[in-house]
Amino acid sequence: MAIIKSNFFFENKRWVITSLIIATFILLPVLVLILNLFNGQGETLNYLVETVLFDYTINTFKLILICCVSALFFGLIPAWFISNYSFFGRNFFDLVLYLPLAIPSYIMAFTYIDILSYTGFFQTLLNNISFIPSSFLNVDYMQIETLGVLMGLALYPYVYTASRVSFSLIGTNYINVSKNLGLNSAQTFYKIILPLSRPAIFSGLFLVIMEVLNEYGAVKYFGVNTYTSGIFRSWFSLGDINGAIQLACILLVFVLVLFYLEKKTINKSKFYYSKNSDVINKKLQQKSSFLMTSVCAVPFLFGFVIPVLFIINNVIITYSDIDFFKLLKLTWNSVYVSTFSAFLIIATALFFLFVDRISRRNWSSHINSLISLGYALPGAVVGLGLILLFSSYSLVGSFFILFYAYIIRFLAVGKSPIKSSIEKQPLSFDDTGKNLGLGPFKLLQKIHFPVNKYALLSAFILVFIDVMKELPVTLILRPFNFDTLATQTYEFAIEEMLPLSSVYSLMIIALSSVMLLILKSFVDKQIDVS
Amino acid sequence: MRSLILIMFFFAMSCSQKKEITNEVNLYSQRHYTVDEIQYKNFEELTGIKVNVVKANADELIERLKNEGKNSPADLFITVDAGKLFHAREQGLLQKVSSEILNINVASDLRDPDGYWTPITYRARILVYSKDRVSKEDLSTYEDLSNPKWKNKILVRSSSNAYNQALMSSLVANLGYDKAKEWSSGVVANFARDPKGSDRDQVRAIAAGQGDIAIVNSYYIGILLSSEKESDLNAGKSVGVFFPNQGEGRGSHINVSAIGLTNNSPNKENAIRLMEYLTSPEAQEVYVNNSYEYPVNKLVQPSEIVKKWGEFKVDKLNLNSLGEYRSDAIKIFDSTGWQ
Repeated sequence: MAIIKSNFFFENKRWVITSLIIATFILLPVLVLILNLFNGQGETLNYLVETVLFDYTINTFKLILICCVSALFFGLIPAWFISNYSFFGRNFFDLVLYLPLAIPSYIMAFTYIDILSYTGFFQTLLNNISFIPSSFLNVDYMQIETLGVLMGLALYPYVYTASRVSFSLIGTNYINVSKNLGLNSAQTFYKIILPLSRPAIFSGLFLVIMEVLNEYGAVKYFGVNTYTSGIFRSWFSLGDINGAIQLACILLVFVLVLFYLEKKTINKSKFYYSKNSDVINKKLQQKSSFLMTSVCAVPFLFGFVIPVLFIINNVIITYSDIDFFKLLKLTWNSVYVSTFSAFLIIATALFFLFVDRISRRNWSSHINSLISLGYALPGAVVGLGLILLFSSYSLVGSFFILFYAYIIRFLAVGKSPIKSSIEKQPLSFDDTGKNLGLGPFKLLQKIHFPVNKYALLSAFILVFIDVMKELPVTLILRPFNFDTLATQTYEFAIEEMLPLSSVYSLMIIALSSVMLLILKSFVDKQIDVS
Repeated sequence: MRSLILIMFFFAMSCSQKKEITNEVNLYSQRHYTVDEIQYKNFEELTGIKVNVVKANADELIERLKNEGKNSPADLFITVDAGKLFHAREQGLLQKVSSEILNINVASDLRDPDGYWTPITYRARILVYSKDRVSKEDLSTYEDLSNPKWKNKILVRSSSNAYNQALMSSLVANLGYDKAKEWSSGVVANFARDPKGSDRDQVRAIAAGQGDIAIVNSYYIGILLSSEKESDLNAGKSVGVFFPNQGEGRGSHINVSAIGLTNNSPNKENAIRLMEYLTSPEAQEVYVNNSYEYPVNKLVQPSEIVKKWGEFKVDKLNLNSLGEYRSDAIKIFDSTGWQ
């Protein structure tokens, strides 16, 4: 083994060196932050620790907890039903449950508060037809619990997607065996399916947690201060950038621990998916069928239909103010940056995963974790790292830096589906390839590229949508006169002109929805292929 | 793989596209209103000078300016808070401007005494109150909001909001740190709910009966009163507008949206020309009618909606202190539990 190991480096020297160079570039902004760690006196950090940071941290955990529980509720259970039963509307829900991912979380938050507020649709309507006393509805909805559930609605598709694929791949063998051993459906779910799907579920939740950690717009609006609020309190309010950097570094350590935990769960419960036998799709009694339909309808209705209807209504109200030329231009800008960065990101992701695969080495998997760090950092902090690095060379404000930032920020999103797909391919593929005399490049081209085709396309779409919704990085690093749908939406929403922002957010949602529907067909093919 | 190389090639191509326009002016702006686009377009048509804008958060833009140093493309830095311009100036990012036209255009009491920035509009941080539950005679000053008689009545957004930070800075400057802190404790004790939401949400909360008095920016009330949504319009109409600290008092707290000329401005002449244009009666007219802000040019009247609230006495505090006392303000917020 030792001999093979030492050979490896020389065999694939170019690949390894290239991967190290690219990894360095991806980690540069983080490294700069770490280098700046000891610049400050630590005054602000001490101050925040003494005053508010404890509360902020508690809030963060609370928000993560509420959001994860609701994401599990909205994502996991429908995924289980759809994977295993046939009920009214199953195929429809299978198609549409991804869609809430199309709505940026801050838009979800703004929109729902507008609907629920005293002057909003919900209370106005119910007060008019009302036998319910209006005082019962007239409460302050802007609470951390509401925010957690709303973010759960916006983010549950991460859990749904991961568990849907996993549940389908587990196949019926396990289920049949468990039935033969005398377990009922619920027991099978808890004792067999959940443990087997733990890595998938955890990787979905992991993305949810990262999103909660870097969320700033919605938490600020709700007056819920999280750890990220602390970073910005130091930077924007107290004007201490070093304090902000120190806080961001602590956040990074926390995320590294999460990475480690994720890895551990995955290693612990590694198993190969069995061949997928026919999904049972049991016929059900009417009562359970109705229950399943309702459980699947809830996330779709609240996560997509209601906010989208409301946004469409706002578009109609403001129809006369819509500047279609501008809408077209911003749409083009958004599509341009999203497409381009999605290409770059999946290429980078595939490259790193492939090097990890052919090297089969620990350090390479560590590098693979490290380069995902950018996803947990608030976009503005990634922006700060790049400003510190490249401003003096007049590079900030070029598309080059903007794409660079997107890669750092969303590499983790692109890697996730590719990684789970690559991991499912037996190592014998590579060995056979090598025996047939394929070099690394041919191996990638002839085997991994085609075999993981659908995963690559899925990754492309997920990144595309994330970049399309992206805000903080785009705001600070964009070139002159460059607006996207997301920046324009934000600029109206933040100035309390939500109706005017709606046509731009509707365009984000429409484009993302189309992409998600395409994604759905890729996910199906992935399930079939396996 | 070949397609990847092609993609990289196009990427490099698209990055290297640089337009060679020399007759231009570059803005780093915290303002992002539709009215700004109108102004820049008008200026371009009038002068042929192309206006380029990056819009982002003020502190991020300061960081960008600072790190870009001599290579910065920016000519002008525009904020909606004099405090941020004070910080930019403190870090040596701005230069003084002297222009006869600016002196004529801008009311002298609104100008920066040191000449580093020029205001283009201003807004007041005012009180709105429930017409049903509060009688106007009971309202007087910001200081009075800490009076226990307003227990469970006061609504305001969170302390991470720059307008609240500016208001608190003005109180530190006017009353001193200890008095301001005492005031903050009193106000926090009178909160109807935890601070949250936007200024408009505070008005809605009054309409909903969750509180009686809110501290808000004047121009958001203008936006609300011109809303196309009937329920919002009604919420706006259900509240009265009150300017605190009038009469013998020092006047209501205001903040400016202002422009500073950057230290390394590559297009200085164009930049000053734009400043002069934005403060001209013609451009000021456009501001007041689109964004409900107050004009800095005395020749121009506020919009019809805003004019109805009447004239008011402005706090004459040197607005640089809104930046100078910012950290004190944050410390007061944090130590008195104003979230």
